[in-house]
Amino acid sequence: MTTESLLTKPERAIRVAPSVLAGIGTFAAVGVYVLASSVGLGLWTSLGPGPGLFPFAMGGVLVAMSALWLVQELRRPSERAEGIDRGLVIAVVVSLVLLASVMDLLGFQLSMFLFLLYHLKLRGRRTWVSSLIIALAGSVGAFYAFNYGLNVALPVSAFAPLN
Amino acid sequence: MDTLNELLGGFAAAMTWQNLIFAFLGCLLGTIIGVLPGVGPVAGVALLIPLTLNLDPTGSIIMLCAIFYGTQYGGTITSVLLNTPGEASSAITTIDGYAMTKVGRAGAALTLAAVGSFVGGTIATIGLVAAAKPLGELGLLVGPPEFFALMVVGISLLVALAGKSMVKALISGALGLLISMVGIDPVAGAPRFTFGMDRLLDGVSFVAVIVGVFGLSEILSHRKNAETPLVHAPGLRSLLPTRTEWRRSAPAMARGTGVGFGLGLIPGMTGSVSSLLSYAAEKKFSRFRNQLGKGAVEGVAGPETANNAHANAALIPLFTLGIPASPTIAVLMGAFLQQGLTPGPSLFTEHSDIAWAIIASLFIGNVLLLLLNVPLVGLWTSILRVPTPILTALILLFMVIGAYTINFSVFDVFVMIGFGLLGLALRNLDIPLAPMVLTLVLGPLMERSLRESLEISQGDFSVFVNRPISAVLIGLGVLIICSPLLKFRKPKALTEDPEA
Repeated sequence: MTTESLLTKPERAIRVAPSVLAGIGTFAAVGVYVLASSVGLGLWTSLGPGPGLFPFAMGGVLVAMSALWLVQELRRPSERAEGIDRGLVIAVVVSLVLLASVMDLLGFQLSMFLFLLYHLKLRGRRTWVSSLIIALAGSVGAFYAFNYGLNVALPVSAFAPLN
Repeated sequence: MDTLNELLGGFAAAMTWQNLIFAFLGCLLGTIIGVLPGVGPVAGVALLIPLTLNLDPTGSIIMLCAIFYGTQYGGTITSVLLNTPGEASSAITTIDGYAMTKVGRAGAALTLAAVGSFVGGTIATIGLVAAAKPLGELGLLVGPPEFFALMVVGISLLVALAGKSMVKALISGALGLLISMVGIDPVAGAPRFTFGMDRLLDGVSFVAVIVGVFGLSEILSHRKNAETPLVHAPGLRSLLPTRTEWRRSAPAMARGTGVGFGLGLIPGMTGSVSSLLSYAAEKKFSRFRNQLGKGAVEGVAGPETANNAHANAALIPLFTLGIPASPTIAVLMGAFLQQGLTPGPSLFTEHSDIAWAIIASLFIGNVLLLLLNVPLVGLWTSILRVPTPILTALILLFMVIGAYTINFSVFDVFVMIGFGLLGLALRNLDIPLAPMVLTLVLGPLMERSLRESLEISQGDFSVFVNRPISAVLIGLGVLIICSPLLKFRKPKALTEDPEA
C-alpha cells in the first residue's frame, strides 16, 4: 500500500455519469409533460376510458421508472458506455438533414448524387472513378429503377432543367 | 381435408411467377442482411418494408417473410467463415463452425447448416399448417375483450425481452406506446401530442421510426473498427459432407428441430435462446459431445436447425393469435398492419386466401434458400469484401428512399433522422430497443380493444374476467408479468440473450 493511497480518502461520493443523469432527467421531464397533457385530453368519459387514459398511464410509468433508475444509479452507478464517434454522427446527421432539406428543390437525382459523393469520396476516400459510378447508380439509377421498375415516384426537381 | 385443400390453394397462389420472384428477392435480400454484420434482421426487415408498400398484400408479405427467414440462413455464413455471427441467433455456431473452417471443412459446415435450416424450417411450417385451422377457428369466438386479452399476453413479453434491467425495459416500452399514440385518437377522434402539426394527425410513421431507431442508430453507433478480414469461399467440391458427417448430423438436426419448434411457440423467446439451448442439448445428449468446441458437426447442425425451426414456429403465434414472439416478428406484424391485414384469429376468416398463400410460400422459400445458399457461397462472401464506406452510403440511400416513400414526403426523412438520434441515445444509455418495437406495434391495438370492450360493457371491467377465453388469457399475461417476482431461476441462455 503506498502512502498516497493511505492519504487519499476512500471515494465515497457516488459518480453518476452526466449522460445518464441527462437521460433520466429527459425521461422524467417527458413523463411529467405527458401526465399534464393527458389530463387535458380527458381520462374518463361516460363511455369508459378517455383519450388521455393510456398516455396518462405511460407518463406515470416514465416518471416512476426514471425515479427508480436514479435510485439504482445512486446506489450503484452503471459502467460508462464506450464513447461514440462524434465525427461520424455529425457527418451522417448533418448530411442527411441537408439532403432532406434540398430534396424537393433539387430533386432526388442531384441531391442524392451529391450526398453519395460526399460519403464516398470525401468521407470514405474512395477513388473518383468508383465514387462517381456508385453515386450515379445510387441516384440516377435508383430514380429510374424506382420510378419505372417499382412504380414508386421519387421527387423531381422544382427546376425542370435539373431533371 | 379442408386444410389440405386450402394449402393447395395457397400453393397455387404462391406459385404465380410474380410471387415466386418476390420470394426469390426476399431470400436474396434476407441472406445479404444476414451476411452483413451490423445490420440486424429488425433493421433489415424494416428497411425493406417500403420496397413492398406498392405490392399487393400477398406479394408484399411473401417477400418480407422470405427476408425474415433469409436472415437466419445468411447469419450462418459469417459465423462459419469469419468467426463473426452475421446475426445473434448464429452466434453459437461460431464455436464449431469456425473450428471446422480451420481444418478445411467450411464447405461441409455450410451445407449441413443449410440442410438443417431447411429441415427445421419445413417441419415448423408443417406445424403452422396443423395449428392454423383449429386456432384460426378461434377467430369466430374473439371479440374486443378477447382481443385485448391477447394483446395483454403480447405486451407481457416485455418481461422476456427486458434484458438486464426491467426499469430500462419499461422506459423503452412506455416510449414505444407514447410514440404510437401520436395522432388522432382511434375512438374519440381527439388529436394527441400533435403539437399543432397537421402532418402528425395520422401519427408518426411506423416504418420511419423503426428504420431510425434500429437502422440509422446502428450506423451512428459504429465504432472505428478494424478492416474486415479476408474471407475465402470454400470451393464447390468441398461443399459435400462425408457420409459420417451426414450420419452424425441427423440426430442433432432432430433435436434442434424439437428445441427450436418448442421454443418458437413460446412468445418472448428469441432465436438466440433456441440455438444456445440446442447447443446445450448437444452437449448433454450427443454421442460425440466430447468433440464439441473442436469442430464437431453437431455443434453446427443442431443450433442452425434450431434457429430456423424457431423462426418459422414463431410465425404460429403471429398468424393464429396476433402475438409477435420477437422484435423482428413485431416489425413483420407492423408490415401486415400497413397492408391492412391484422394478424390473429381473424386472419384465417377474413383473409384466408392470403394467409394460405403466405404459408405455402414459406415452404417454397425454404427450398429456394437451400438451393441459393450453399452453391452461391462465393457470392455471399464477396459482399463482405465491399468496403465499409460504400456499404454505409448504400444503406443510407435505402433508408432515405424507404422513409420518403411511405408518404412521399421528406417529413418522414426528418422523422427517421430524429428517431435515429433517439435510438443512438437509448443504445448509449444501455436501454433495450426490443420492448419499444413491441409496444409500438401492439399499443394502438391494445388501446383500441380496451376502449371498445369498455364501451360494450358500459365501463364495466368485469367483461374481461366474465368471458372464459379472455379470463384465461389475462391470467396468463399476469402470470408472465409476475414471473420475475416469483424468482424462477432464469436459464443462462435468457439472461445472456444478445437479441433482448
